[in-house]
Amino acid sequence: MILTSLDELLLFSGATLLVALILGRGLAVGWMVTILYGGQLLVLIKMAALGYSDATIHASISFEIMGQSLSWRFDALSWFFALITVASALLSSWFSCGEWERSFKQQGGNVWLYHSAMALNVFTMLILLASGDLLSLFIGWELVSWAGFLLMAMAGGVATRAAMRYITYAMAGGMAVFGGIALVYVAAGSLQYEAILTAVDQMSTTQLWMLVVMFGGGFGVKMGLLPFHLWQAPAYAETPGPGSAFLGAISSRMGLFAILLVLVKLFGIVNIDSLKIPFTLIDARDLLAWIAVFTIILPTFTAMNQNDARHLLAWHGIGQGGYMLLGVVVADAMGGAGGLLHIFNHATYQAALFMAVTAVIHRTGTSDLNKLGGLVVRMPLSFMVLLVGIIGLAGLPPMNGFVSKWLVYRSLLNEGMPLLFLAAVIGTLGTILSVYKLIHNIFLGQLRIEHEQVKEAPWSMMVPMLILAAIIFITGMFPGIPLAWVASVQEVVGLPATDYTLGGVESVSGSLDMIWVIGVLFAGFGIGAVIFYSAGRSKRVHQLDNYAGGHFLSADVRYQYSDNFYAGLMHLIGGWYRSSFLWLEKSVTSLVDFLSLVMQGLYRRANAEFYLLSTALFVIAWVVI
Amino acid sequence: MAPMELILELTLMPLVAFLVGMMMVLMMRRIAAKIQRRVGPPLLQPLYDIVKLHSKRTQISHGLIHDIGIIMAMGGYIAAETLLPVPGMNGIAEKGGIITLLYLMMIPSLGLALGVGQCANPNGSIGIARALTAMLAYDIPLVIVIFGVAYAAGTTNLVDIIAQQQAGGFAAWGAVEMPLLAIAGLIAMHASLGKQPFEIYIAPAEIATGPMVEMSGKYLGGLFVMQCFQLYTTSVLYVSLFLGGGSTWFDFLLKSFLVLAIPVSIAYLFPRYRTEDLLRLMWKWPVMLGLIGVAFVL
Repeated sequence: MILTSLDELLLFSGATLLVALILGRGLAVGWMVTILYGGQLLVLIKMAALGYSDATIHASISFEIMGQSLSWRFDALSWFFALITVASALLSSWFSCGEWERSFKQQGGNVWLYHSAMALNVFTMLILLASGDLLSLFIGWELVSWAGFLLMAMAGGVATRAAMRYITYAMAGGMAVFGGIALVYVAAGSLQYEAILTAVDQMSTTQLWMLVVMFGGGFGVKMGLLPFHLWQAPAYAETPGPGSAFLGAISSRMGLFAILLVLVKLFGIVNIDSLKIPFTLIDARDLLAWIAVFTIILPTFTAMNQNDARHLLAWHGIGQGGYMLLGVVVADAMGGAGGLLHIFNHATYQAALFMAVTAVIHRTGTSDLNKLGGLVVRMPLSFMVLLVGIIGLAGLPPMNGFVSKWLVYRSLLNEGMPLLFLAAVIGTLGTILSVYKLIHNIFLGQLRIEHEQVKEAPWSMMVPMLILAAIIFITGMFPGIPLAWVASVQEVVGLPATDYTLGGVESVSGSLDMIWVIGVLFAGFGIGAVIFYSAGRSKRVHQLDNYAGGHFLSADVRYQYSDNFYAGLMHLIGGWYRSSFLWLEKSVTSLVDFLSLVMQGLYRRANAEFYLLSTALFVIAWVVI
Repeated sequence: MAPMELILELTLMPLVAFLVGMMMVLMMRRIAAKIQRRVGPPLLQPLYDIVKLHSKRTQISHGLIHDIGIIMAMGGYIAAETLLPVPGMNGIAEKGGIITLLYLMMIPSLGLALGVGQCANPNGSIGIARALTAMLAYDIPLVIVIFGVAYAAGTTNLVDIIAQQQAGGFAAWGAVEMPLLAIAGLIAMHASLGKQPFEIYIAPAEIATGPMVEMSGKYLGGLFVMQCFQLYTTSVLYVSLFLGGGSTWFDFLLKSFLVLAIPVSIAYLFPRYRTEDLLRLMWKWPVMLGLIGVAFVL
């Protein structure tokens, strides 16, 4: 038997998992696993033709279960997601090798469990991405859910509680997906993609509505779409450092992968667009767009109010997911490209940001934004990585986040959707406020006396961070590189492909060429530097040599503004944070509690005769009718 | 276009912006003087000030990011000017468009925010927190306005937006076709300049001039240069969107100075708003006007 490259990839990934499981307690297992991730990346690069065409590679294995064939294959869509998955796993794993691993072990962490859980996550994600029919998709979906739980729960305490919450949501989502699959089977008589594609045209509006709700809701849980977003931020934030970088980069995008595959590719945006909501002017597609927009705004403004760096980033991860869905739902060439490109861009800067924050935690022991400050003089490289990351997250030039958001804005403008456009920009503005608070409270302002001896993060952590920073900048300057993959993905899922160039996009209604924009920007910085440095020499002073309204400053005086950072804003909008979703979650929980109590009461109170009687009645009724 | 010509344009556009910007600072001070019944500064005072600040003996640096912040504040605007068409010169306006320009104009603010952050002075940090809040306030009506104009023109390319207005004559000007958007844009532009009654982040009586508290010598000089660019960029952008751009230099400069004179004249008649009042004002009136204006355009 000749192995296809997909077989090789899955075998490689499985081998990584085995190595982590078997040798996980040995020395230098981190490096071994990292090298194996590198091997997976090489196999993916060997498959690179997928990213530039609409070809498919099948796995050699397939099963036949109850008349349903189970198969696995890779196309441009799977390849694009797999590339991001394996690359973020490689860099997160690299980051964790050496010093982080040692200090993790000292604090009582289980390195064996960590590496195994990471490898399991990557392996299950690749299986999900390779799914060739709805049954294998469901199997992959459940595997990914449980693998994620393992990684989230391993830190114990708060993390385990957050992970329990996650798995409750994930199981509910899984049930919805399973229900949807059952419906599809009833309607199409098969779970093969081709059969579904032909069956969709014959489906009634009611059937389509139910499918959109069940699949959209089920997959949306993983993506953290409103109102199913509450689990995500604590679960990701409490995962051990490099794990949260990996989860934040790619994990919840598996939901978007499934949405792209089922809702966009199989059902088709046109069909979803035809589902009108009675008595209103909107249809199912508008509904998805508005869900996306609220997923942008509310989590972003929740992030702004966080006082823990990891939680702040995790909340932004939810918010940025909204941009991806928004772009995909708008579904013209630019919107689709923006949404898909944002998946790639988000993975790069989110991983870099989580790593930079983990590096700070590694050196200072805290991620509390009120207990840090002034670290730029002690950890300049980490500062630089965080700076590059937040510019990407906020979507400003010259980093890659700008390009994908620009594409989304442009598509909303072209399609004439002012409110969605406005909402997307509000999300960006909120992000700018929030990330400035992040970088200010960690790296700027006054250096605390206990941090005066802090050292820069070790090179084992620094190198992957710098690689990510470089990717963020380079794909910001040459967005054509990922846009080539994105264009193939668009073709595969049936969206119009975008007309890209190396520096951006070409369009009659306004183009973008980042090479020029960035070139001019840096020329501007150069001129600014010439003006600045040609003036008189400046004198470097100590941070305590500072204006304090007639007082002397000494090392024991805390002279830093960090708490309630946007006080003026909160005077106005502070009252709008009502925790409505928390209330919703609690009411659902108590409803379930109540129902289970009722059931339990019924069960305890009733006697054997009652059961016998009711069963007999039921059987008679069934036979007669 | 020949490369040499393009390089010439890319050099000239920021230079012109700087010179005009200095004159705008002068106009602002002269208007203030007239309102306060003073004589006001002489013609070259802005230039004297910049030279003076850059050649001061006392230059206090709080670290490398403090320096880089000032460089970013100047450099970001220098770059932004090349995306803003002026009569006879388009620079790289067609390679970026208005959304890129809008976001490029945030780079100087980001640079300033970083630089002030490293000064380790809470007055400065509070100032930046307020400045970012102000940005959240005025950018919301501003993007509504930009959406309306770009949608009406069918393009985000500023060169095309200007050309369409000039081709149709006075009746095709943005301000005539979309008066509500023009009014909303004017209010948002006033707030974006950070002049009274919106100077919440300078607030000398509360936070000791906020971002400027630790800026001496060339650091303050850099901010002065930034202000020249800011006045120029804001008014020229408004002229390009609503007043048909400039077909000749005379026309162009006249419109730009006149537009700027409106918020500046209002500024010196008013005291200061509180932060939440600025938000409330911006999110209510210009947003409402803008949304109604956009509804007309759609």
